[in-house]
Amino acid sequence: MNGIQPPTIEYGQLMPLLLVFGAAIVGVLIEAFAPRYLRKAIHVPLTMLTLLGAFGLVIVQVLRDGVPTAAVAMGAIAVDGPSLFIWGVILVLSVVSVLLINDDDNFVASAAAVPGSPDEEEAIARGGAHTEVYPLALFAIGGMMLFAASNDLLIMFVGLEVMSLPLYLLCGLARRRRLLSQESSVKYFLLGAFSSAFFLYGMAMIYGYAGTVDLGGINDALGRVGGQDTLLYLGTALLGVGLFFKIGAAPFQAWKPDVYQGAPTPITALMASGTLVAAFGAVLRVFWVALGNLDWDWRPVMWGIAILTMIVGAILAITQTDIKRMLAYSSIAHAGFLLTGVIATGEATQNANSLSALLFYLLAYGITTVGAFAVVTMVRDAGGEAGHLSRWAGLGKRSPALAGIFAFFLLAFAGIPLTSGFFGKYAVFAAAVAGGALPLVVVGVVSSAIAAFFYVRVIVLMFFSEPAADGPTIAVPSAGTAAVVALAAAATVVLGVYPQPVFDLADAAASSLFVR
Amino acid sequence: MLAHFVAAVVAPVAVRRLGARAFWLIAAVPAAVTGWAVVTRGSRTEVFSWVPGYQLDLAFRMDALALLMVVVVAGVGALVLVYCGGYFNSGDVGLPGFAGMFVAFAGAMLGLVLADDLVLLYVFWELTTVFSYLLIGFHAEERNSRRAAMTAIVVTTFGGLAMLVGLIMIGLAAGTFRISEIIARPPSGATVTAGLVLVLVGALSKSALIPFHFWLPGAMAAPTPVSAYLHAAAMVKAGVYLVARLSPAFADVSPWRTITVVFGLATMIIGGWRAMRQYDLKLLLAFGTVSQLGFLVVMVGVGTWAAALAGVYTLLTHAAFKAASFMVVGIIDHGTGTRDLRKLSGLRSAAPVTCVCGVIAAASMAGLPPLGGFVSKEADFAAFTDDPVVLAVLVLGSILTVAYSARFVWGAFAVKPGREPTVMHGPGVSLSAPVVVLTVATVLLGLAAPVFDPIVARYANAYPPGPDDEHLALWHGFTLPLGLSALVLLAGAALFVARGAVSRVQAVLHPHLDAERTYRLIMHGLDRAADQATRFTQRGSLPVYLRFILFALLMMPGSALLAGLPWGGAVRLWDVPAEAVVAGLICVAALATVNQTWRLAAVMCAGVTGVGTATMFVLHGAPDLGLTQFLTETVTLVAFVLVLRRLPPKFVERQVEGIRRLNAVFAAAVGLLVAGMAYVAVNARTAPPASAGYPEAAIEAGGHNIVNIGLVDLRAWDTMGESSVLLIAAAGVIGLIYLRRTPTMPRAGESSGEVWARPGVPSFEEPEAARPAATWLRGSETLSAERRSIVFEVTAWTVFHPMLVLSLFLLFSGHGTPGGGFAAGLVAGLALTMRYLAGGRYELADALPLGPGVCQGAGLTVITVTGLTGLLISGEVFRETVLDWRLPVLGEIHFPTSTIFDIGVYLVVIGVVLDFLRAMGGELDRQVEEEGEEVITA
Repeated sequence: MNGIQPPTIEYGQLMPLLLVFGAAIVGVLIEAFAPRYLRKAIHVPLTMLTLLGAFGLVIVQVLRDGVPTAAVAMGAIAVDGPSLFIWGVILVLSVVSVLLINDDDNFVASAAAVPGSPDEEEAIARGGAHTEVYPLALFAIGGMMLFAASNDLLIMFVGLEVMSLPLYLLCGLARRRRLLSQESSVKYFLLGAFSSAFFLYGMAMIYGYAGTVDLGGINDALGRVGGQDTLLYLGTALLGVGLFFKIGAAPFQAWKPDVYQGAPTPITALMASGTLVAAFGAVLRVFWVALGNLDWDWRPVMWGIAILTMIVGAILAITQTDIKRMLAYSSIAHAGFLLTGVIATGEATQNANSLSALLFYLLAYGITTVGAFAVVTMVRDAGGEAGHLSRWAGLGKRSPALAGIFAFFLLAFAGIPLTSGFFGKYAVFAAAVAGGALPLVVVGVVSSAIAAFFYVRVIVLMFFSEPAADGPTIAVPSAGTAAVVALAAAATVVLGVYPQPVFDLADAAASSLFVR
Repeated sequence: MLAHFVAAVVAPVAVRRLGARAFWLIAAVPAAVTGWAVVTRGSRTEVFSWVPGYQLDLAFRMDALALLMVVVVAGVGALVLVYCGGYFNSGDVGLPGFAGMFVAFAGAMLGLVLADDLVLLYVFWELTTVFSYLLIGFHAEERNSRRAAMTAIVVTTFGGLAMLVGLIMIGLAAGTFRISEIIARPPSGATVTAGLVLVLVGALSKSALIPFHFWLPGAMAAPTPVSAYLHAAAMVKAGVYLVARLSPAFADVSPWRTITVVFGLATMIIGGWRAMRQYDLKLLLAFGTVSQLGFLVVMVGVGTWAAALAGVYTLLTHAAFKAASFMVVGIIDHGTGTRDLRKLSGLRSAAPVTCVCGVIAAASMAGLPPLGGFVSKEADFAAFTDDPVVLAVLVLGSILTVAYSARFVWGAFAVKPGREPTVMHGPGVSLSAPVVVLTVATVLLGLAAPVFDPIVARYANAYPPGPDDEHLALWHGFTLPLGLSALVLLAGAALFVARGAVSRVQAVLHPHLDAERTYRLIMHGLDRAADQATRFTQRGSLPVYLRFILFALLMMPGSALLAGLPWGGAVRLWDVPAEAVVAGLICVAALATVNQTWRLAAVMCAGVTGVGTATMFVLHGAPDLGLTQFLTETVTLVAFVLVLRRLPPKFVERQVEGIRRLNAVFAAAVGLLVAGMAYVAVNARTAPPASAGYPEAAIEAGGHNIVNIGLVDLRAWDTMGESSVLLIAAAGVIGLIYLRRTPTMPRAGESSGEVWARPGVPSFEEPEAARPAATWLRGSETLSAERRSIVFEVTAWTVFHPMLVLSLFLLFSGHGTPGGGFAAGLVAGLALTMRYLAGGRYELADALPLGPGVCQGAGLTVITVTGLTGLLISGEVFRETVLDWRLPVLGEIHFPTSTIFDIGVYLVVIGVVLDFLRAMGGELDRQVEEEGEEVITA
């Protein structure tokens, strides 16, 4: 116990993170002490202000101090350009997701009540929903930020768990179709637990190899340590399994449709946007920073995974009849597109280009995704959201504006010009071509075409089919949901028409690459 | 162009207000653009910065080719809009949207031809795709229409994306995306070659060349004005335009010329051939268009001065006569309600103006002098006089063209014997006027060809002119092309006359593999593949998902492991042979576990593996570890059994045998993998293990029990944290069981005396007197009579207190010998378990009338206070001091303060066990009794 020095912690740089976690803890206290009827009234402003405040802090930091050049908290956390950008993206996405979460009616009144039991009826009659959602979401968001910014594997694992555990729980809180929701929660949890275990195991192996869990240290060890290659490869592969699970790359994609479908839609939106962003942050750190010099070894495997992911995502999406499942597969395909950018490494400038492209893509895709799920929450019928695609037939005739916006989001997913999706894809594919991953890009193009096929099919369904007689109603959106849809649509247009400012930002964030 | 997009926004409003007549107003926009283009003529370049990060600019330039295209796009656009005004009725559903789309499409098309940036070009390219998709799908309620729209967008989007990649590759290779710069300094290399092929894929798909041609006839489901514009003048020309644009730079790069010529010629022949078979006038024209597009691509792709001149001029003439033809068909369709040439008869006299225009347009198509078609065809033939093979195919294609042109005229206007003349209401001015204008243009293009020559030649001048290349003119003298033209006309006419025979030949030769069917097959296959893949991967079953993950695990780390062979390191089979026996036992127990059908038996078998592991510890010389493991195993087993009472006794469903085997294989493989990883990890050790210092550290800390010292001394901080976590976990589990009920302490007095009653068995009435006055265990009185066991009660009564003493002994001696707070707590917990099992939940409350919360809280408090005391005394948290004193019976007590800490652990463990007993035992009992089910007792 002697000789342990108190760690030096740069509180200033970590402030956004600390703010989010602090607010999450305050949220727990509110749950414990505030009377039930007051809780939501306290949580909503607290959560929103926290996220906006954290976003403000990120901006202030960039403006005042520029991009830090060294890892903080004894090298545990890297608040560098990419981190700050990703934090900004995560926070923006979280703010919009929380706006969706605010919309009552998505969350269960009493999660502990057995579905269909008298307990449940009683809870519904009492009204309200679980307000624990807010602190849980804050913890998850904090975890995402930590996950993407961690500079050593241990912290990364902590971030992974802090991010995932609340999400496991949140998935099970859907108000409607509760069994499906609970099933999704259990599946996500069990499979997630497995993948976390693999990550941990891999971390142990890497530690055995390098003698450190520090990402930069591992990279240094690559050239230094000899004769332990098996450990290194084992560790790399296991880490990969854990990370690929989180981004939903094939063959670890199986959970995504089930979970996206079962979870309450606002949580799905948060997962589909925030988690993906954070997980890609972590993937980049592990494979570029820690294992950057090992790229000849991991690249072939990543090629395989990227190809498989794109194809599986695009092809399986075709048969989906549930809108959320379809979006889940689309998210899988997009993860594949993003992986092509991860593979496109090379010289420092090439890396900076790829990174900048990825950052832009993540932002563009995230915003559009949240918007799409926001639309999903608004199309309802008697049993809650009208998930089945056949229910969406003729939506364009009933509600042209909403259907139009949704069609626009779908076109953005497909990467049609003048949407944000086009520039995202363009940037990533251009980086991949420059990085010598041409065959990947070709696969990407083919799967994009396939993907376009099913996006268009939905558009056809919405606009060119006769509406069903008992079609779903369009819920009058709450101010929050309407704001989300409007914001997402605006962002998709602006990023598609005039993306340069964001490209500049991403370039600036990516220019110095990751600190080590 | 900007005007177009503004107009696109305004148009729907206008149409809603003014009805179909608004089209005439809108037509002013493209008309103005045409005028502007003709007036400026010269070359202009405008550049606005757009996305400098990716060197994307809004660069536009006007040159000869662009000028011609603008005239085609905007001029025909204006005419078609006028035509629309007559074609549609004001009340048509969705007309305002249609107008907007149409104008926006025209704008996108203009952008496409004016763009001087590869990516910008792609942007407009895709926009035309999207707008055309919406236009084709205008009659949305028809299934055919939707399908056609879908096909068109899928094919062209696919091509477009391929093109994007190609464009990026070329752009990167050239270092710029500006088209004019690339053409001035064309890059070369393998990347460029591949890029060009991809670009051609895009161009061919857009211009409906083989093998992508099938979407165009399908797209004829669109309203006729759309066909006239998109499929004659504008969109399909985009591919031709792109080829024409890039040919000056890349015609000499190896695959370019081959691809354009081969695919172009094949398309020309097949399109013409299939046009001969159509009965629908519009489809006839569509296949004719396919044929002509192939022809055009050959001309502009081959890359010589003469061909370029001829090609671009053909492009002009084709736009004029094909748009006119489509409009004629539209008029017929509009007036008669059919386009089937078998039904039409005698329109010659019913619609004379239309007839004249249609005949002239068709004549131009066939290449009759003195029309535009003739001039261009002459030039075309002239361009290939030195290439007999291509020339021969061109001639053949032209013969087909003549034949189907004749068929068109005959089909539309001829009086067919034995058929009533078709009734037709005459077209309005707004329908006829554009047709007339286009017809006049066709004539002018022929008569006044030399006037247009300088403009067209400006484009062709990108190539060096050949020695005997001629300019455009109606009359060149008696040359080879003239002869060929005559031959073509004669042969075509002959083919038309012999149409009966031709159609019989065609019926025989009907191709079994056409591209459309291939496309459908691919799409269908895709659907099927998706279905099956979904069925295969997305069962929704957790084990299946897990199998996928495990499979990946075997593949990735597994191959890493195998790649690392041989692993090195020495294998020592065992220290004492007994270890092998125990290991064997563990394996057998593990196998037995997975083979059980009864849950309880499976748990027991799993317990055996745990006990075996404990034995291994003992054999390894770690009795302290062994003891702890034994006790943990026992408590776990009890917890398991308590919970299992609530589950069905058997595992629900037997798995299919095949799946079971598969699972067994997976399990074994993963087991091997993990064992292998453990082996590698252990052998990879280079640094001395951290635990090497433990024995000395333990002795220094004043004890010999390393587990205990580790828990309470060396890692006291950890223990404190773990205790807290344990309590939280326990609280969580308990919460799940109690759900919303606040736990209360059961009091024996409240009992109904029916605990563990078996509903099926009539509880026999005991006379009051028969009950023993005093019982061994007070709580057992609450049990239903058939559940009582005197022997068990006596045993429990006898053993309980000695066990508590034993636990205390273990607690206090733990520092030096096997035992310690953790083990002691478990022993005490087992003692309580025994009381519960013998006497039920009321007995449990009797045995320890403290709530579990009290035990746990006290324990945690003791732990924390110890730590803080250490801080107070020595300034360091968990600093221990040693006290020694003697106690009777138990002997010498060596009492370091860490023992106090250990007491805390002891209390925590007792609290947790008690909690489990009350929740999983007592509370479950209560719930079961409430529901009136039978309890499966241990």
